[in-house]
This record gives sequence, structure tokens and C-alpha cells, in this order.
Amino acid sequence: MERIAGTGGRSGSTGGEKEEIGAESFLFGEEIQRLMTGPPENGSSFTALLGLPANQAMELLHSQESDTAPAELSGEAWRDNHMNPHKLYYCSPTFPANTTLIDRAARFSVFAAGENSPETSSVPSNSSHKVKNEPTDTDSNPNSLPPLISNPTVENKNQRSTKRKEREKKAKGSTKKCKNASNETSEEAEKLPYVHVRARRGQATDSHSLAERARREKINARMKLLQELVPGCNKISGTALVLDEIISHVQSLQRQVEFLSMRLAAVNPRIDFNLDSLLAPESGSLVDSNFPSMVMPLMWPDVQANENRQPYQQLWNDDTLHQPVWGREEDDPHNFIAPEHSLLSYDSSANSGSLQSNQLKMEL
Amino acid sequence: MRPPTSLKKEFLKKWIMGLQLCSSSKKEMSFLERKKAIKLSADVAMASARNATTRWSRALISNASKDDSNKGLVECILGPESESLKRASMSLVLCNKRNRSKKILRKSCSIRRARKSSSQMVMASSIAKRLVKKRTQVLKSLVPGGGSMSEFSLIEETLDYILSLRAQVDVMRHLANATELLNRK
Repeated sequence: MERIAGTGGRSGSTGGEKEEIGAESFLFGEEIQRLMTGPPENGSSFTALLGLPANQAMELLHSQESDTAPAELSGEAWRDNHMNPHKLYYCSPTFPANTTLIDRAARFSVFAAGENSPETSSVPSNSSHKVKNEPTDTDSNPNSLPPLISNPTVENKNQRSTKRKEREKKAKGSTKKCKNASNETSEEAEKLPYVHVRARRGQATDSHSLAERARREKINARMKLLQELVPGCNKISGTALVLDEIISHVQSLQRQVEFLSMRLAAVNPRIDFNLDSLLAPESGSLVDSNFPSMVMPLMWPDVQANENRQPYQQLWNDDTLHQPVWGREEDDPHNFIAPEHSLLSYDSSANSGSLQSNQLKMEL
Repeated sequence: MRPPTSLKKEFLKKWIMGLQLCSSSKKEMSFLERKKAIKLSADVAMASARNATTRWSRALISNASKDDSNKGLVECILGPESESLKRASMSLVLCNKRNRSKKILRKSCSIRRARKSSSQMVMASSIAKRLVKKRTQVLKSLVPGGGSMSEFSLIEETLDYILSLRAQVDVMRHLANATELLNRK
């Protein structure tokens, strides 16, 4: 047990350096050397304690792989390998992955966690990752390079073609432990980010959902505009409530139009409105200046014809909004005020005084 | 979008024109007739002031010109561009018909789908969606020509419609105020 604790401690120390090493692969060598100097005596004591030589363990593993051995046996074998850390250093850097081994690794990790101290369960995730020393393989630093994890397919392709090679190497003495651990780490690290990425990718590549999202965003932007337009709508959240507010606003506006047309009908015995007479009370500043400013361009040409128009022109020029209307009116004045429509025609000289007062008011 | 003041001016010009036409065509009117004429001319003037670039204005014009007695008025208010406008609004009507048939089809589809999904649990989101749908229907009935609009264009048209209605209400209120003041004197 204390040895296991020792390995756990080692794993902790190596785990601390994981980030730097993940970034720079040539640090691996240094790390390996440090490990080489450290644990071998540990490993020898392990083997002595277990009474199980490395070759024997190897054979056991080999047989397990060919004909699926019971889980307990393989688990024990794995533990044996785990107790022999010096085997780790025989691991070839280009060692390929194997699905069956990955499976087994996952199962074994459970066994180890159950039977040994909790520290051993943490071993595979930290130390083996370090110990593995696979600078060429992208699996070696799954945490530091999450996007590269997405090449398990490539790995899988390699698996079958390299299975034989793998066996030969195993015969040479490449340890399963290393492979187990490495595969396990890659598996473990893959699991979370891979699922995450896949979900995101599925969401993104689905053209329908993309289009739908774009459409929703567009509608939301317009809704924001509407919300700003309709009074008392800014603080409301929720599409339904906002729509309620908009509906009531539109309804109120429509009702206002109805009401105003009614009011106008009631006020006037005749349907026409004499702007000439309307302007007279307004020039007396009874109505706000908005309306006269709207009405003014309508009578402008006539005033123009009779008056010294220079000051007025100046004034109108200030307000660029009036300019286009004026220009068009000069082009075809019959468009809106024709002499035969005597209702709107008026004596412009009589209006000039009121006009002047209006202008002054606007200037102020 | 044009600045509101020029929109108001345009509207006022067209409205007064329409009112003159109404008064010249019919001398004696009852109160309700007058009210109707005022409202119609105001609506059409507003729609034509918006230059019929929006769908609600086109729908309004096409609705107004459906009635034979209003046709002359609408044409006069619209002025020289009435031909193109009418053509546009006619195409809109056609489009409406096509849309209606499409809608019927969609409705039957949705009914089928609803039956299938009714076995599932009713989610809060689906309730919210239904609420929104109901309100969208109401809004479609409020905005002229809204029945044939998609959700997105409906919101845009509503924006424009609200702005135009405001301008209309503003001008009408000013005119009413002025007329009342005049009558009081």
C-alpha cells in the first residue's frame, strides 16, 4: 500500500509538470530520465514482492488479448504491470491504440480504483500521461490540445493495420501498462470535450437550425426596435407581453384616428377645411408651431409671387426639410393649389402679416 | 424612411385634396357620411404619402378601391402614380389569394402534427409559443394586409404603420384643434 502511495506521489509530482511538458515535447526526455533514476528500485521491490517476473506478466497479457480472458485475471495482470513501473520506459513512442485495449483499460481503471487506494485511480489520469512519452502522438496531450482530439477516426484507422506490429512489439517487451494508461488518459480526456464538441458541431452544421437562428435574431432585432418605439414597452420582457403592448398601441392609434375623424366631422358642417381661415388663429400663437410650419409650404408659392421673398427664402433654406417640397411646388403649383379650388386660395397679402409673425416665432 | 415632418406635409397635402374632392362631389352629407369620408381620405392620403413602398399601404389602397364609390377618390388622391400603385395592389390581392390557399394547406399540416405531438407533455415553451402566435394573429388582423405577411415582415410593417399612424394622428389633431378654435371665434 505504501508503494502505491509512492506511485501516487510520483504521479502528483509529474502531474504538476504536465502543462509545461504538454507544450514542449522535448521536456519529455528530461522527465523520463528523472523517472528512470527514481523508481527502478521501487519496481524491483515490486516484482520481488509479487514474485511475478515481467516476462510472466507479459505472457499473461498476451494470452488475454488473443482469447478474451476473464476480467479479474486481466485486472490482476494490469495491476501487476502497474506495480512494475520500470516497464513503462520500454514503451515505444509510436505505439498505436487498440479498441479492445481501450475497453480493457477503462474496465481496469475501475478495478484499480476499487481495490487499491484512491490515489491509484488518479494515477492514470496524471502520471501515465506523463510517463507515456509520445511526442508524435496527438493523444499524448489531450488536455493541452483539445481540438486535436477529434482525430480518433485516424487512430482507429491505424488500429487494425498496426495490430500485428503491436503484438510484435509487445513480444519485445513493450508494456501494456503504458498503453493501458495512455489509452485511458486519451479516452478519459476525450470523453468530455469530444461530446461537447460534437454537440456544438451538430448544432452549427445543421443548416436548418442555423437559418432558424438567424431568422430569430432578425426578428428579435426588429422587436427591439418596436419596443423602443412603443411607449412603456422598454421594461417589459417576454415576446407575448411586448406584442400585447404593441397591439394595444396600434389599436389606440387607430381609435384615435377614428375619434379625430369623428371630431372633425362634428366640428365642420362642411367637409372642406379652409386653410386660410385656419391659419389666422394659429398665427396668434394659440396652437403650437408645428402645424403652421406644416401648412406654410402649401401657401408658399402665392406668397412668393407677391412678396419680397428674400428673407423668407433664407428662413426656409435653414430648414432643409422644407426645401424639396418647395422646389416641387414651384415646378407644378397646380398640383395642390389651383385657382379653381377657391376654397384654398386666399389673399396672400392679408396673410403676409401672420406669416411674418410665424417666422419670427420659429426663429425664436 | 423619410423624416416625419415631410411625411406629415405630404399627408396633409393629399388629405386636403381628398377632402376637397369629397366636398365637391357631394354637397350635403350626414354626420356619419362626413366622418366616413374624412377617415377614408385620411387613410388613403396616408397610404399614398408612404409612396406605397410598404405592404400595408398597398393593402389599404386596394381595400379602399374595392368599393366603387371610393374609386374616384382614391385615384384622385393617388394622382399620377395611381396606375402603378393599383397594379401593385392588384398583384397584392392575387398574392393574398395564393397565400390563403397556402395557409389552408399549412393549417391542415399543422393539425396533423399537433395530433401527433399532443401525446407528448405540454411544455411551458409550447404554451409561450402559442401565446405569441395568438398575439401575432391579432396583430395581423390589425395591420392592413397583415394576413399575408410573414413574421419578420409583419414586424417591419408594424413599425412603419405605427409611425405613419402617429403622423396621421398628429396632423388630424392639429387640424381639429385649429378648426375648433376657428369655430369658437
